[in-house]
Amino acid sequence: MLPMRPELLKGHLDTLLLAVLEPGPQHGYAVIETLRNGSDGALDLPTGTVYPALHRLERAGLIAGDWQTVGGRRRRAYRLTPAGQAALGEQRAVWEQFSTAVTAVLTRRAWPATA
Amino acid sequence: MAGHRLTADAPDDVVAGYLADLAARLRGPRRRREAILAELSDGLDQAVHDHRAAGLPAGPAAEAAVVQFGAPQAVADAFGGELTTAYARRTITWFIATGPLVGSWWLLLLHPTPWRTGPAPLFAAIPVLPLIAIAIATAAATVATTGRLMRWLPETSPHHALTATIAVAALSLAGDLTMIIIFAASGTPLRPLSTMALAASLTRVACGITTIRHTTRLRGR
Repeated sequence: MLPMRPELLKGHLDTLLLAVLEPGPQHGYAVIETLRNGSDGALDLPTGTVYPALHRLERAGLIAGDWQTVGGRRRRAYRLTPAGQAALGEQRAVWEQFSTAVTAVLTRRAWPATA
Repeated sequence: MAGHRLTADAPDDVVAGYLADLAARLRGPRRRREAILAELSDGLDQAVHDHRAAGLPAGPAAEAAVVQFGAPQAVADAFGGELTTAYARRTITWFIATGPLVGSWWLLLLHPTPWRTGPAPLFAAIPVLPLIAIAIATAAATVATTGRLMRWLPETSPHHALTATIAVAALSLAGDLTMIIIFAASGTPLRPLSTMALAASLTRVACGITTIRHTTRLRGR
């Protein structure tokens, strides 16, 4: 699948990152790889530029980050907070409504004639 | 890749070189920069491990990892907003936290005699109270809308957070200078209490001037 243009992701990246963290905590690199692999490579942003989005979500209180030591290495793991879970639910509903409306318009075969 | 030259260096040198290049481009609070570099270092190690597991030799695996992370300048630019906001929040919090430390000396020195309740005598003794109130309101609004309240309120941009930082530092500076001038004009002799109040305000005046100059430079970038 062709990579998607970064500007198309604007406004959706936060929701996608929250969705990736929904099943359970993950460290930053794993979050970004899950996003890439889960979209069959379509969401292929430079890894280093996605970390700031995680930091912003943490500042907003939607995810929480904790330093852990794994195999002698310090690693920062992120988990969804209750506020993040609620925000994800809201964003999912908004997206479903939006995508249903856009799909309905884009897949219409013939427009009715106007008077 | 712009900003980072791929070489035939040892794998560790490729990753270390990339991180050193990025470190030189990041601007913001030192501890935040160190935390970012530690986190990206771990991510790069994992990326190298994944590329090796996929069959690449050590050198190409390290080179593929740094390409995957993006050009150092692009990563530094992506972190720019977060680092700027972190600087603004930390600086604003410092000015508000030092307010009671400085203000309590002036209150002890200039409080109405005898102590009376009500705002009028207090305003007469400490005329900078309105400035302090504006600074606290500006600081509270900025910290709230760059933190958890940004889920419900419009988020303050990094540029506006810097403007708020300059405003809080300027209000603090004006308050301290006003108190120093009032004291100097009163002709009161220096005593331990007044010496402490003056020293506290002069320290904050110096910090205020430094902050305004530094933040104005950051804002102009």
